Amino acid sequence: MNDRMRIRLLILRVLVLSLLVTLGARLWVLQILDGERYRRVAETNRVREVVTPATRGMIVDDQGQPLVRNRTSLVISVNRSTIDRQSDKGRAVLDRLATVIGMPRAEIEQRIRFCSATVKAPCWNGSPYQPVPVAKDVSSAQALAVIEHPDRFPGVSADLQAVREYPNASLAAHELGYLAPVSQDQLDAQGGEKGYHLNSLIGVSGLEYTYDDALRGADGVERLEVDRFGRVAGTASTTDPVSGDHLVLNLDLDVQRAAEQALGKTLESLGGGARAASAVVLNVRTGGVVALASLPTYNPSVFVGGISQTDYSALSDPANGTPLLSRAYQGSAAAGSTFKVVSTAVAMQQMGAKGDDKFDCAPTLQVGDQIFHNFDGSSAGPITLHQSLVISCDVIFDKFAYDAWVADGGLRNGRGPYQEPKEYFVRMAEAMGFGSRTGIDLPGETSGAVVDRADAKKIWEELKDSYCRRAQNGYPEEPDPVKAERYRKYAAEACVDGYLYNAGAAVQFSIGQGQYLSVSPLQLATAYAAIANGGTLYQPTLAKATISPDGRRTKLIEPTVTGHLPVSPEILAYIRDGLHGVTTEAGGTAAGVFADWPSDLVPVGGKTGTAEVEGKGDTSWFASFAPANDPQFVVVVSIPESGTGAEYAAPVAKEIYKALYGVGQPAALPGGKPPADLPELGRDGSFGGGAGTTAGPAPSAQGAAGQGTVVQGAVVQGAVAPGVAGPEAAAPGAVLPALWPASGPAAHSGTEPAAATSAAGGAGRSPP
Amino acid sequence: MTQDPGPTALRSSPVLVRGRIGQLRDRASGRHSPLRRLDWPLQISVVALALIGALLVWSATRQRMEEAGSDPQTFLKRHLLNLAIGLVLGAAATVVDYRILRAYAPFVYLGSLVGLVAVLLVGTTVNGAHSWIVLPAGFQLQPSEFAKVALVVGVAMILGEKHEDRYTGIRRGEPGHGDVLLVLGLAVIPMGLIMLQPDFGTVMVLVFVTLGMLAVSGAPRRWVLGLVLCGVLFGGAILQFHLLKPYQEARLTSFVSENKATSSSGYNVDQAMTAIANGGVTGRGLFEGQQTQGQFVPEQQTDFVFSVAGEELGYLGAGGVIVLLGVVLWRALTIGFQSQDSFGALIATGVVCWFTFQIFVNIGMCLGVMPVTGLPLTFLSYGGSSMFANMVAVGLLQNVRLRSRSDPYAL
Repeated sequence: MNDRMRIRLLILRVLVLSLLVTLGARLWVLQILDGERYRRVAETNRVREVVTPATRGMIVDDQGQPLVRNRTSLVISVNRSTIDRQSDKGRAVLDRLATVIGMPRAEIEQRIRFCSATVKAPCWNGSPYQPVPVAKDVSSAQALAVIEHPDRFPGVSADLQAVREYPNASLAAHELGYLAPVSQDQLDAQGGEKGYHLNSLIGVSGLEYTYDDALRGADGVERLEVDRFGRVAGTASTTDPVSGDHLVLNLDLDVQRAAEQALGKTLESLGGGARAASAVVLNVRTGGVVALASLPTYNPSVFVGGISQTDYSALSDPANGTPLLSRAYQGSAAAGSTFKVVSTAVAMQQMGAKGDDKFDCAPTLQVGDQIFHNFDGSSAGPITLHQSLVISCDVIFDKFAYDAWVADGGLRNGRGPYQEPKEYFVRMAEAMGFGSRTGIDLPGETSGAVVDRADAKKIWEELKDSYCRRAQNGYPEEPDPVKAERYRKYAAEACVDGYLYNAGAAVQFSIGQGQYLSVSPLQLATAYAAIANGGTLYQPTLAKATISPDGRRTKLIEPTVTGHLPVSPEILAYIRDGLHGVTTEAGGTAAGVFADWPSDLVPVGGKTGTAEVEGKGDTSWFASFAPANDPQFVVVVSIPESGTGAEYAAPVAKEIYKALYGVGQPAALPGGKPPADLPELGRDGSFGGGAGTTAGPAPSAQGAAGQGTVVQGAVVQGAVAPGVAGPEAAAPGAVLPALWPASGPAAHSGTEPAAATSAAGGAGRSPP
Repeated sequence: MTQDPGPTALRSSPVLVRGRIGQLRDRASGRHSPLRRLDWPLQISVVALALIGALLVWSATRQRMEEAGSDPQTFLKRHLLNLAIGLVLGAAATVVDYRILRAYAPFVYLGSLVGLVAVLLVGTTVNGAHSWIVLPAGFQLQPSEFAKVALVVGVAMILGEKHEDRYTGIRRGEPGHGDVLLVLGLAVIPMGLIMLQPDFGTVMVLVFVTLGMLAVSGAPRRWVLGLVLCGVLFGGAILQFHLLKPYQEARLTSFVSENKATSSSGYNVDQAMTAIANGGVTGRGLFEGQQTQGQFVPEQQTDFVFSVAGEELGYLGAGGVIVLLGVVLWRALTIGFQSQDSFGALIATGVVCWFTFQIFVNIGMCLGVMPVTGLPLTFLSYGGSSMFANMVAVGLLQNVRLRSRSDPYAL
């Protein structure tokens, strides 16, 4: 042993020490500096979540009648983590279960296997700790067979689960929407923030989508600690599920039903097929949607538990009329003469026409080389704008539009010595909400189309090349050579001067025709509501409030004003008066339809429309409001491929008014008013029948007139004898049953005491 | 006994003439008695580490044993039994004068080679390595562990001889080229045999022990540097030309690769690191580590026993283990420093290299900074052969200590 060796040993000592210090430092980094990150990893390593879905809130109408509720279903579920631990991988248990529920074991095994890239449905894509539902709606005997023998059925459970139920079948399907399991993308993007879990059902359409956050509630989560083999070692934490809020709508079930039935009857009379139709009822004072009907429709219960591919294809097939699509807010078309309210407003507000000025309703108007006819080529001579609305004279509005077009520079498109084009008609249409979404609380709304000069040019620039190609190549795919040549000529013209906003287009626009205008029934209803209420544009809103499971009001959805019409109140009143004339004056386009209508009690203002569609039948429109002198509701009906507005749409609107006001039937909205109060949530968790539903007349009026007529008594108060109280109101009401024989039993009980009538008001609303 | 008669008094004072038994008692407990002169910090640290190891092994296994329907204390008891046997073997290694041991070194070495050949013939494969000889009563023998001891003793014998004559103590100079070649030949044979099992980790231990002892012995510098260079080139070539079995390569490289979870060794390390990080400063408490009790870390009672310390005892506990290991290495180096001859110093050097390499690689593996090599953590990992070999090594250190030059009263 020498000194040099000692020195080398000292060096070794330093080396050893530094290695140990390195380890200590690394340990410090791992346990203390980076510890938090690793502990999170450890958490996911060890903890598995078992989710108890929250009970979703109900959707009820303005009076508390359920549109969507939850039904309990006895569900048999299999817990994989228990089954897999059986010595035979649970084969015996599943065999026993198969005999109980009458489903082959192979099928049960398919349902409980885990989904993967190669394993497709039926399979389970939830957590292995989550019981997999294998049979829904089993009988209580079957459930008991499982529950009473836990020894024979380890890992099998039978529980009551809530599933969505639609007590009115297809009613208001487009508005209610449906649920679907959350997608992986949504889960990744919003899972934490929204409280989604794997297999959570979320609203993907309609109100279920818009108010998903309120309806869904918060799922209960039990966090289980597991070991490496997935065996449960204990419970880390438990959160109980919190039920979702109930959603109360402005929509009224009875009005909705009346609208759908009236539309359905009309479509039937037209021959059915792929035909569609829609109707909108709005509360003009709030924008509340009282009914929003579109046919064909579907029963949302096909989506419960997952829709099959066949069903889904059928619902989106145009040959069936694309039932998934709501024509009321997702479809748009030319508005026809219903659009003349816009043109009247322009003529009076911007072009200086006065109410008693007379204009020549000639049979034709020549614009360049085009001749525009009145609808039936008739001449009415010099008439006022009022009469022009009543008889729906085209030529007078054509003339205003032509003059405005000339003043805007005609074909010169605003260049040269002319000023910027004013485009009164387009601007007025936009001010009334056309061409943009109304903002209704439903997804997928259409914005329709309003095309001005700049837009027209932009569109042409995009399409120019294809026009010019067509001008050269023609339309070889068109079998009719005459048509093909006509299309080719049109393409040739468009290729050269398609950017020009020609007089013809401007004239067509003023009467709601042509390619530069497309409106949805909901947009038209919103515009008419604004005209009816004195100029305020409301955002149409289906939901009125949310109510917590314990009955507290959690949110009141206030009316939202989206704009004001740039039209003076006097002009609006003039227009309303003209529209009232449509249903009441001689020559009014809807006077025939409303001939038997009690216009003295519930005056209706409306406008028919007949929009021509190239190659198809006309679209029948009726846009209206009532009572005309103090508007409360707007009703718009649209029936494509039918005929004139007076022939098809107006009668449907009349049917809806009958239901609203109770003409010949129990009134859907007693007093002709939407209920002022929210329905009360009963102790049993359902909404009590008719609670707080009557708003309006004094009990004495009800008592005197009975149910069928009570309502009209209320209207009379406002319409004919403002300020005159109840008892007088009963007088005209007594006459009514004779004029409109009622089918309902209540109509005959004219002398029922007040209290009983009030109760009958509720009873009359129960589903037939 | 408080009286300290001293050697002179013992010899001269008739008053203190005692009976044979009294003499023995004095020898055992007196200031200069071998028991007193043992390196107690070393011994206490070693026993403490082994006891901590027993607890950690128990914690890592009791759940599994219980589920298997066995006695949950099985591993605890066996670890303690291993410790007891190891202490006896260590005592034996201490009692025999190492200068006598030096004479028997060739036999120790040859004996270890016999074991290594035997394991190739009748051994059992565990975790891909053919390293165990199964004995009756559920015991297993891992000859490669004893090869470490044999190599340390063998190399120390060759290199130590060059410093002093065995009998005269006359200095004869530093090892020459012939000695180096002899040492290499001596080392290559067990390395080759162990490589056949294959047990790459143990081969690396032998490489470092040999290199360390050569360097400290004062072998020609060009040999030491050349060997290091060879090692680097060899290692590079192994990885470059995929000479290792795929699982061996995966173990070695998983600590630098990105997608750790794809390979099983990466998974082991991930789980071990997660467990250690989960411990935080003070740990989850014994038997309370969720990662450990959930059996997320494979091989936790052997290769990854440090992760139990990390999770359940925290930074304080796991750091304490490192400190105790540091005390062992420190004392071992001191013993080498104070050794009266080169043989003793080289034995201490060999043991330190062996322990240091295993400790650094094993703990480094648990902390994700060293490759997975399957080396046990000295004194803590469960394993009889490893425990026996470690305790024999400690016994050798004590042996050197008892006979070191700084002690004029060496027996």
